[in-house]
Amino acid sequence: MSRQQHSPLRIGRRTALGLAAATAALPGAFRRAWAQDDQTFDITTIERPPLSGRQAFIDFITSTRGDDAQMAGARWDRCQALIGNQDLWRDKEIEAFLLTPREIFALERNRARAYEHAFLDIGWGVTISGPHIVGRMTSALDCVPEDRVLEIGTGSGYQSAILSYLSAHPYSIEIIQPLSERTTATYGELAGGKFPEYGNIRTKAADGYFGWEEHAPFQKIIVTAAIDHIPPPLLQQLDVGGTMVIPVGPPGAQTLLKVGKVQEPDGTISITREDLYQGRRKVSFVPFTNAEGGTWSQ
Amino acid sequence: MRADAPALARPGVAVPFLISVALISGAVIAFQIAVMRVFSIANWAHFGSLVISIAMFGFGVVSAIMVIGKGWFERHWDACVAASLIAFGPLMALANTLAQTQTFNPILMISNPEEQERLFANFVLYFLPFVPGALFLGLVFLKGKASFGKVYFANMTGSGLGGLTILMSMYLVAPDSLLLVPLVLWFAGALVWFATARSRWPAIGLVAAGVVAVGIVASFQQINVSPFKGVSYARNFPDAERVYDAFGPLGRLEVYESSYFHFAPGLSDVAAFNLPSMPENAYLGMYMDSDGPIGIMKALEEGDSAYFRFLPMHQPFLLKDEPEVFVVQFGGGISTRVALAAGAQSVTVAEGNPMVLEAIGESEALRERTGNLLDDPRITVVPYDGRLYAPGVHDRFDVIDFSLADGTGLSSPGGFSIYEKYAYTRESMEAYMRALAPDGVLSVTLWNKEDPPKSVLRLFATLIAAAEAVAAEDGGDITNRFFVNHTYLSTVTVLFKRDGFTADEVAALNEHSRRMSFDVLYAPGTDFDTGDAEPVFQGIRDAYFDPQAAMADMDTGADLSATNIYRIALAAMMAGDGDGFAQSYLFRVPALTNDQPYFAAYLKTGDIPGFLGILESVSDEWGYLLLWATLAQSLIFGVILLLLPVVFGWRTVFAPQPGKVGILVYFMGLGLGYIVVEVGMISKFMLALTNPVVSASVLITGMLVFSGIGSLVSGRYLDISRRFLPKIFLGIAALLVLYMVILDPILEQIGLMAYPVRVLLCLLLIFPPAFLMGFPFATGMAWLARLEKEHFFLWAWGINGSFSVVGSVLVPLVAVHYGLDWVLGVAALAYLMALPAFFALLKPRPAAA
Repeated sequence: MSRQQHSPLRIGRRTALGLAAATAALPGAFRRAWAQDDQTFDITTIERPPLSGRQAFIDFITSTRGDDAQMAGARWDRCQALIGNQDLWRDKEIEAFLLTPREIFALERNRARAYEHAFLDIGWGVTISGPHIVGRMTSALDCVPEDRVLEIGTGSGYQSAILSYLSAHPYSIEIIQPLSERTTATYGELAGGKFPEYGNIRTKAADGYFGWEEHAPFQKIIVTAAIDHIPPPLLQQLDVGGTMVIPVGPPGAQTLLKVGKVQEPDGTISITREDLYQGRRKVSFVPFTNAEGGTWSQ
Repeated sequence: MRADAPALARPGVAVPFLISVALISGAVIAFQIAVMRVFSIANWAHFGSLVISIAMFGFGVVSAIMVIGKGWFERHWDACVAASLIAFGPLMALANTLAQTQTFNPILMISNPEEQERLFANFVLYFLPFVPGALFLGLVFLKGKASFGKVYFANMTGSGLGGLTILMSMYLVAPDSLLLVPLVLWFAGALVWFATARSRWPAIGLVAAGVVAVGIVASFQQINVSPFKGVSYARNFPDAERVYDAFGPLGRLEVYESSYFHFAPGLSDVAAFNLPSMPENAYLGMYMDSDGPIGIMKALEEGDSAYFRFLPMHQPFLLKDEPEVFVVQFGGGISTRVALAAGAQSVTVAEGNPMVLEAIGESEALRERTGNLLDDPRITVVPYDGRLYAPGVHDRFDVIDFSLADGTGLSSPGGFSIYEKYAYTRESMEAYMRALAPDGVLSVTLWNKEDPPKSVLRLFATLIAAAEAVAAEDGGDITNRFFVNHTYLSTVTVLFKRDGFTADEVAALNEHSRRMSFDVLYAPGTDFDTGDAEPVFQGIRDAYFDPQAAMADMDTGADLSATNIYRIALAAMMAGDGDGFAQSYLFRVPALTNDQPYFAAYLKTGDIPGFLGILESVSDEWGYLLLWATLAQSLIFGVILLLLPVVFGWRTVFAPQPGKVGILVYFMGLGLGYIVVEVGMISKFMLALTNPVVSASVLITGMLVFSGIGSLVSGRYLDISRRFLPKIFLGIAALLVLYMVILDPILEQIGLMAYPVRVLLCLLLIFPPAFLMGFPFATGMAWLARLEKEHFFLWAWGINGSFSVVGSVLVPLVAVHYGLDWVLGVAALAYLMALPAFFALLKPRPAAA
């Protein structure tokens, strides 16, 4: 099935044309991954990294993925900081963090700073969120491989790359078309190499407000754009019992809003909102991208 | 320029000399304002202020260098003047052009060293043009010292009129070309100067410099909008089309159309399951100085308006049929549409920004798209601020709506700076409440995207203080007059009913809240189980300062949710214990008043050292903390500038001159006092003039021109200064103290008049203190010249300039902590401090004695 046939009804003509061009530019391996749409890569076959120590991890990741040893060390160190900060606490998310080469999703000029406690500019007024907020949002979602996960705001692609170790069905929408094209191409290149799991990530350039209806319902939704209200289409496309995570508030004073969709005993559907940490964690929460603008900002 | 360059005419205090000084002074201030505009549109205005304040140290640096090398400058006076005049223009053009290649993003400032480098590059670039500007003025002051009053008059008047010129030019000149205004002033000033020169070469050099400067401005981008500004995102939408673009002194207003705009502030989460469809492509995005978007609602299809009922602004209409409605601020028109959809009999809608009214009311492109909304016969438009309209109305409206008036939201990233929010003060809220019919409802909706809450708690304190004042007149308590609900991390709505809610009304609102999934925070007759408040206060503190302790009892400890905090706060405030809550709560949450109209400075002073270690957790307070940093920095710079001449020449240059400390204190006091009055009154006069740009222009022009006149007149009293000047000082202090008391009520009255009358009356109010404040500096400088304390002459000028920067930073800090009235008090103190120092200044040199 081609990607165009996947395109939702709401996609505009210009966007569709852009996607056609983007698809044509993809490396062969990635086109194949899309062509075999129903055969998702089995993420349970991915060899998990050792968590016993820094050197063991570096040895593992350099030999299996060919990652740069220095970067691997920095990744391990940042991971320990995330664990210490209670941004990561389950092994599965820790492993996903360790397997994802953040430096590849950063711009060339920022690569050396990929594992700093900071977000990084990637152009078009967009940034890669800091590792701590990425870790915390990923943990908050608590994905299982069967979950269909929708990300609004693909950006650099780093967040969905992490999710691709936790769910076999990540979907990601980016509003800025050239950015979407660039990230899709990055996934394509990596999927054709040592990261076949990124072939599972489906992307499109569109307005994430309307979600991705034909793949709904989603058990998990993660939003990384400033909003003034939760888009009703996303609430509709969230599965009952599902979880949506959105960072809200001014940069640095953000709260991670966890939205739940619950069916009451009488059958009515209700929406719950809570702070993941019940108001108890305010420290070291790195400001995220796009807070000054974006589709739904005020 | 070579030292043996052709000698220039020395115009003394001839008229061309004064005109030239005035025009160059005007160019300096016009350049500052132009740069501020560039920063507002391309980046963030407060960084513009920071850049300018640092650049202003150019004046101090130049004065210090001139003190040290006074002899050299006197020997090369002609050449230095010519060089500084010719260099000033091209440097202005070059600085701004190069700065556009060094755009930085404040959001990334802390995390990215490259951003810090680019900010530093901006500091350096914008500093450069001020060096020749300051050098020219220093040189002419030195030359004209014998008639300093006249030179200073030209300097002040020129600055004032330069400010006025650029502000008026903003009606005609697009922001991208605004730099041409200071360039024209500069060119004219330099031309007048060189016209009297014996040689033609400087004039030829000037023309070449002019061609270069204009060429640079015309050929290169003068405003490079940051990709992180709201409008940059809109420009990236594939179907975005700019349908309106206008500019003026109030800013640049752009409106974009795109299917990617979605607004529904505070929309109930259950709308998703109750609405067959959301209106698509229903909004335009409005951007002011590239900030936004503010949603302008288009005309909707018949069936689409159902979703209005799911917005929090709909709630007062549950209680009122066919009401007469007053919307305090039109904004993008959502509240107006909600009122019409709810069956309002009439909607009176105020909008203080004429650009918004012009865009929506007069532009064909927007009239068509908004379905000629403002032509609806039910709508009456009030073309000025709602807070000024309300006091003239009593007992009339069934519903008054004040919703999300700030496009950026009080709790979204606007927290970088400190703005006067007069529409939210206790005085304004009282006016809205009194404008209600006896059974009318005031509905105030605010963003509540903070957790733990800060700004919303200030809103509660303000509304309750206003209600107490209103209730004191018509009797009864206030506890049955409020109903408050919210959606966590979305919006909060406070309903106030003037004669109190009936049990049926409370039940209806409770039921609506339940259906909409809004959490009720306060309802008459309901006691929420908030638990013991003390562990909550401690828990919030721990969340910042002892996170391990906070996390330890996550599942068993106190309920630290924003909902619980709101309930605790409201229960305490309703019970008359707002002070107790304020003392225990981690953040400062006093009511807003006309004297302290700020949603800023939430950190308690004692906690600031603790927060410095966890700055990233309070980045919405960085603007406030930046003020403290800037104050410290400007004090350090000021002291360095004081010390420079001392280190290099105290013994040789200053040794025989008595009264050093007195002179220092005198000019420090004047520098501080003058700028504190000017900046403080810009904030104050917004009460009447409403718009910060207009207020700034009226104050800058009025103060400088009137003080210029004062300095000119002061020359007549030089011989009797010893007796006369103390009276002036006392007069200034007395006037400022008087203004502390009487200014607010007078400005509130002026605010009700026609706009030209307002401007005129404000100028009249400015005249007495400004005129008197022109005396001390000119008199002091003239006496330094008369006593031949020429090194001090330049030094004093530099000190005055440096402490002006200190003063301008001091104003917002004093204002947020002690109120704007005390800003004037501080200025009065500064002048009183300078009074005794004047006698030290008058001590003659030993040689002269």
